[in-house]
Amino acid sequence: MVGAFEQALLALMIFVIMLGMGASLTPRDFWLALKRPYGLLIGVVSQYGIMPFLGFLLITILPLPQAIAVGVLIMACMPGGTTSNIFTYFSKGNLALSVLMTVTSTVTGVILIPIILVIYATALELEIPRENIIITLVLLLVPVAIGMVLRKLNANVGAVTEFMGSALALFFIAFIAISWVPRNWQFLMTTTPATYVAAIGLGLFGIMIGYGFARVLKLHPRNARTVALETGIQNGPLAIAIIAFTFAGDEAQSYMAVPALYSLFIVIVSTLVTLVFRRANTAAEQKLPEGML
Amino acid sequence: MDHPDKPWTAFYRAGARTEISEPAYRNLADMIRSVAETHGRNPAFTCCLPNGMNGTLSFAQVDEMSDALAVYLREIAGLRAGDRVAVQMPNCLSFPVAAFGVLKAGCVLVNVNPLYTAEEMARQFADARPHALIIVDMFADKVPAATAGHPIPNVIVTRVAEFLPAMPRGIVGLVQKYWDRTVKPIEIAHIRLPDALAAGRAHAQEARIEVDAYHQGVAPDDVAVLQYTGGTTGVSKGAMLSHANLLVNMEQVMELLVGDLQKGREVALTALPMYHIFAFNVNLLGFWWLGARNVLIPNPKPLTNLKRAFENYKITWMSGVNTLFNGLTNEVWFTDSPPRHLKFSSAGGMALQSSVAETWERITGSPVIQGYGLTETAPVLTFEPLGKARPGSIGVPVPGTEIACLDDAGNPVAQGEAGEIAARGPQVMLGYWQKPEETAKVMRGDWFLTGDIGVIDADGYVRIVDRKKDMVVVSGFNVYPNEVEEVLAAHPGVLEVAVIGVPDMGTGEAVKAYVVKSDPGLTAEDLRAYAKEHLTGYKVPKRVEFRDELPKSNVGKILRKDLRAEAMAQIAAE
Repeated sequence: MVGAFEQALLALMIFVIMLGMGASLTPRDFWLALKRPYGLLIGVVSQYGIMPFLGFLLITILPLPQAIAVGVLIMACMPGGTTSNIFTYFSKGNLALSVLMTVTSTVTGVILIPIILVIYATALELEIPRENIIITLVLLLVPVAIGMVLRKLNANVGAVTEFMGSALALFFIAFIAISWVPRNWQFLMTTTPATYVAAIGLGLFGIMIGYGFARVLKLHPRNARTVALETGIQNGPLAIAIIAFTFAGDEAQSYMAVPALYSLFIVIVSTLVTLVFRRANTAAEQKLPEGML
Repeated sequence: MDHPDKPWTAFYRAGARTEISEPAYRNLADMIRSVAETHGRNPAFTCCLPNGMNGTLSFAQVDEMSDALAVYLREIAGLRAGDRVAVQMPNCLSFPVAAFGVLKAGCVLVNVNPLYTAEEMARQFADARPHALIIVDMFADKVPAATAGHPIPNVIVTRVAEFLPAMPRGIVGLVQKYWDRTVKPIEIAHIRLPDALAAGRAHAQEARIEVDAYHQGVAPDDVAVLQYTGGTTGVSKGAMLSHANLLVNMEQVMELLVGDLQKGREVALTALPMYHIFAFNVNLLGFWWLGARNVLIPNPKPLTNLKRAFENYKITWMSGVNTLFNGLTNEVWFTDSPPRHLKFSSAGGMALQSSVAETWERITGSPVIQGYGLTETAPVLTFEPLGKARPGSIGVPVPGTEIACLDDAGNPVAQGEAGEIAARGPQVMLGYWQKPEETAKVMRGDWFLTGDIGVIDADGYVRIVDRKKDMVVVSGFNVYPNEVEEVLAAHPGVLEVAVIGVPDMGTGEAVKAYVVKSDPGLTAEDLRAYAKEHLTGYKVPKRVEFRDELPKSNVGKILRKDLRAEAMAQIAAE
């Protein structure tokens, strides 16, 4: 289902995106975020409070086999997806906040994900690979640091890296999705409706709940859109990597079903959401009068 | 009309000259060359795009490139001294190369707003009759229509990302061509700017050309720039600004600031378009003279386009208009981390609202001071002395400038009374290009009549209380009602139309049209859409009101002042 070639491509994609993400950051961004950690706190709560609970609900409500349930839980506990930054960019959200939320959820995930996973897994009587998750998360932060150094050294290299990160990521996503679907047609046809609901619902409901949560807390609509995408979009490739890292053979393949389906459908869901957000943004933009500007 | 003394000079910074009448250089080309020799390899211009991609030219590079362009214009394009060259582009690295190249060639620079419609361009070209046009590719599709009546023999095309490193230049080019689709195919014979420079360079070497010879004969009082300003009769007028006008005015402003700014040490932000006289003189010429690194923003809209520039460069000085300062103080990213190195900012083009000035100073910790002037005065006449701003005032006359308030007969009014502001000084233009009758209307002896009604305090601070002309100032740009009325009147559904300016929170003033329709189905949206086709954005009426009839005098002339009074009463009632 997710072969070695695809796993390599996904790893490369994560690296490129994280590099581009780093290139869009300055130390000042971190300093500012720490000075006013409200937005980030909301992000952490929605990431590790709302999403895992949503996953738990889906597993409890839907008739899912054990292996699929593990997939849903791992998926729900992942940090913010790197692609959320691209969708935030196109939906005119707060890119700096999005990047920081992704980075923060990845950093805090090193501690939080194992704890949350253990709690829910115990409740659901599932087994999860803790150490592998920690190692993978730490590795994720290396390209971010490289990206930040690049920008500091040369603004042009930084801007080009950032641009190429987004452009390549879009290309990778499209390539993987388009090439994956026909080769896995059989799998797609035999997957149960409940699995589809879980894989699609996790992203879609996540975005909706995230938006509502942010609006209730009176966040600026631009930041609320960012939080929404950040909440719903999980790091699918990371889940696949962790599973591939931990399990083997058929076991790995059935665990990967939900992360693979999720990763495919989140692109479609996020694209639709982005179109809605763009329209909302155009309506609310600071109207600069014609004239000297 | 002579002032016995000049009490306002007491407000100048300590040590500032109180009189400047002669420029320190013979012409602009001399100044450009001399500054380049002093600052050589220091960065002169950095073009910063919204995503942070950037390119930089040093003083020496701009000097060498503008030399090459001058040779191209004179030797290959065959232009002669005094020939006009139109330059039409947003802020980008090509702008200084083009403008300086034209001046070094001994030619006359004609600044053209790149957002003009083909019709507006055609009108300006018909008047200025340029022999060459240097235009950015994004707007070159308008050239065939704009030059249909008066072909321009030489067209040089550049692009926004010109002179950026290859990688960002390529990316921007691809994005503009395939994503934004802002660059359309160019259907006229043209040469690319880098090719023109290469040709100029090759020719200069071959024929051993001495570029300085082109402008050695250019005297201080020769025309340097034709700066167009909308005409009261719908016809554009080109203010003839001499080398001395521009050089002196640049020095008049810098003289008051240079104690706080250090030559060769400053990083300036240019978000205002340099084809406008305010940024042309203060930013392009002034920052160059100062040896500052000038960070150019091609398009400040939306304002997030400025974010990377503020993050990546330690901006110490910026100039702007009220709209820009107000907009920035409403951007979260700006107020979250305001520029820390800013010494102060200067405002021009339109009245700076005191609430905006206060908010700006609170957020950035540095003041914003405003100047006042007109295209015809190159442009600065008065400036607020740093730290001595007076609420409601536009400051005091710059060195070597006299300001008087005159009554309708042309005599000075009593001190403290309102009259038309008149100015006398070395920055007053030579006149309007080929329009002596228009020049006569605004000159009384060597006094230039501004059309603004003002009051002068006993110690020289000037306040504006009203405007005599019907002109509307929209965010720093002059809009003449006649031009807008003419366009709207041509709409088949319009019977009669009158255009006035009304106060506006965002732009200071906004264009409002009163329309009597002949087609009952005509809507305000139809009319605005129609106006947009024929007029550049800031001239399009923001508000349209339909009427059964318009107030008229007994000879049938539409009374704009009555409409203005009505509009003011309406606003007061709200």
